[in-house]
Amino acid sequence: MSTTMQEAKMADNSHGGVQVRSATAIGAARIAISDLDFYYGAHKALKAINLNLPDKQVTGMIGPSGCGKSTLLRVLNRMYDLYPGQRAEGKAMMDGQNIVDPATDLNALRARIGMVFQKPTPFPMSIYENIAFGVKLHEKLSKAAMDERVEWSLSRAALWGEVKDRLNSPAMGMSGGQQQRLCIARTIAVRPEVILLDEPTSALDPISTLKIEELIDELKNDFTIAIVTHNMQQAARCADQVAFFYLGEMVEVGPAEQIFTAPKEKRTQEYVTGRFG
Amino acid sequence: MSATIAVSGTVPGAAKNIAASVQLGRSRHRTNTVVKSLCVLATALGLIFLASILFTLIVRGFGGLSTTVFTKSTLPPGSHGGLLNAIIGSLIQTCIGTLLGTPIGLMVGTYLSEYASGSKLGDSVRFVSDVLLSAPSILIGLFVYALMVAPFGGFSGIAGCVALAVIVIPIVVRTTEDMLRLIPVALREAAVALGAPKWKMIVMVCYPAAKQGIVTGILLAVARVAGETAPLLFTSLGNLNWSVSLAKPMASLPVTIYQYAGSAFEDWVQLAWVGALLITFGVLAINIAARLVLRVGK
Repeated sequence: MSTTMQEAKMADNSHGGVQVRSATAIGAARIAISDLDFYYGAHKALKAINLNLPDKQVTGMIGPSGCGKSTLLRVLNRMYDLYPGQRAEGKAMMDGQNIVDPATDLNALRARIGMVFQKPTPFPMSIYENIAFGVKLHEKLSKAAMDERVEWSLSRAALWGEVKDRLNSPAMGMSGGQQQRLCIARTIAVRPEVILLDEPTSALDPISTLKIEELIDELKNDFTIAIVTHNMQQAARCADQVAFFYLGEMVEVGPAEQIFTAPKEKRTQEYVTGRFG
Repeated sequence: MSATIAVSGTVPGAAKNIAASVQLGRSRHRTNTVVKSLCVLATALGLIFLASILFTLIVRGFGGLSTTVFTKSTLPPGSHGGLLNAIIGSLIQTCIGTLLGTPIGLMVGTYLSEYASGSKLGDSVRFVSDVLLSAPSILIGLFVYALMVAPFGGFSGIAGCVALAVIVIPIVVRTTEDMLRLIPVALREAAVALGAPKWKMIVMVCYPAAKQGIVTGILLAVARVAGETAPLLFTSLGNLNWSVSLAKPMASLPVTIYQYAGSAFEDWVQLAWVGALLITFGVLAINIAARLVLRVGK
């Protein structure tokens, strides 16, 4: 960490060393989660979760490892359906439809709720094809329209300038940060309404991390975003609303500023000030 | 958690002894030297056998190499025959055998890796496939004899192809399953998260990711069946005359080598060496070509 950053951090120490974005009003829910339980076989990993993801705002999910925050993210796009023995009970409502209802059309749901993973996962194909892959699953586009979509999504992911001359080269040849932005571009190319980010910068260097965070700030104009992070500064920088999870329970949720400066719960206070975790 | 140890300030165990750790370093150095020497020795031993086989093959085989080998079919002893019918027969049977066996092997391997994890049927299929993998190839020849030769009253090229296909299947099954299992869960989840149905995830993401390994498996199978003799003895039998009909007995290099190498005629023995050389270098060429193709494809 550079000296100036350390100084800035110390100057801001009144808030437990965390810089918090200016207060934002929390809007109406895009996804409303109520009394949601989740089981890995017999183990109950989420206990009666109640949480709203406000429309076109960023919800940060924080908490120590194993607290259930990633699990909750994976419930929202039904990723757990891949694994027998995992099940969810309760409600996660989006547009009057319960996401965890077994009758939900999963492919259509995943077109509306995109996800970006911890490690960049470019497919073994060209940069262009990586973007086109997801689009082709849901729409039939002409070559020209597809070109346009690819350019649009890469531009939105702040990657177009870096790759426009090598769209046909393999995506595996990009740097880690570029790969992760490609994964974000691939997700928004499908034009989802919600984007789930599961520790999207934990495998990246500080510069790439900064770029992704700027991107998140830009993307929330159009998308509802949920981000799981282990990095408290990141939650403070990116999120409008922060939810703190501990041992499968959601302990507290509130505007980012309130969670980091005046948490209501003692456990939240201890976690955000680094006293346990 | 481990607070008590950290707080006490001393590391558990005896005080550090520089002389003892130098001693430990030396003994590790000795062990390393011994193990390294053994590894080098074993590698050298393996290479000596390989080099000796190749050397003999080249010395004995190149002597008999001439255009007649590629332009004439097998002829009676003393009349300067070639190996054309055996070469073409081998190519036909290896190609058709691979084409028949590969799709089945690919699909079974995909089933085992993607659809059957933990199921009893999957476990049984995997077990049977592994047994088939190590079954003596003469048994496969006898099986196809009973299935396709005895009932139809004659040896045929197609029976040879089927016998080779039966050998190809378990090799491709095993490599396909192993290679698909190596694909990271994250890559599969990423495809599914975009709304891809399972079959599209397999075909468009998993296959390309496992391409190199799967192709290597298919090539191993080709190399294996190109040199198989026993399964062909009971099926395509061999044919001293020119024939490309799949309904009739068909010549092949391994069977010709088997017949010629044991004969009393010097020119036949010479042709057997040439045949062996051709098979060896043919398989080598396939492997090199495949590596080049894969490198370009990357």
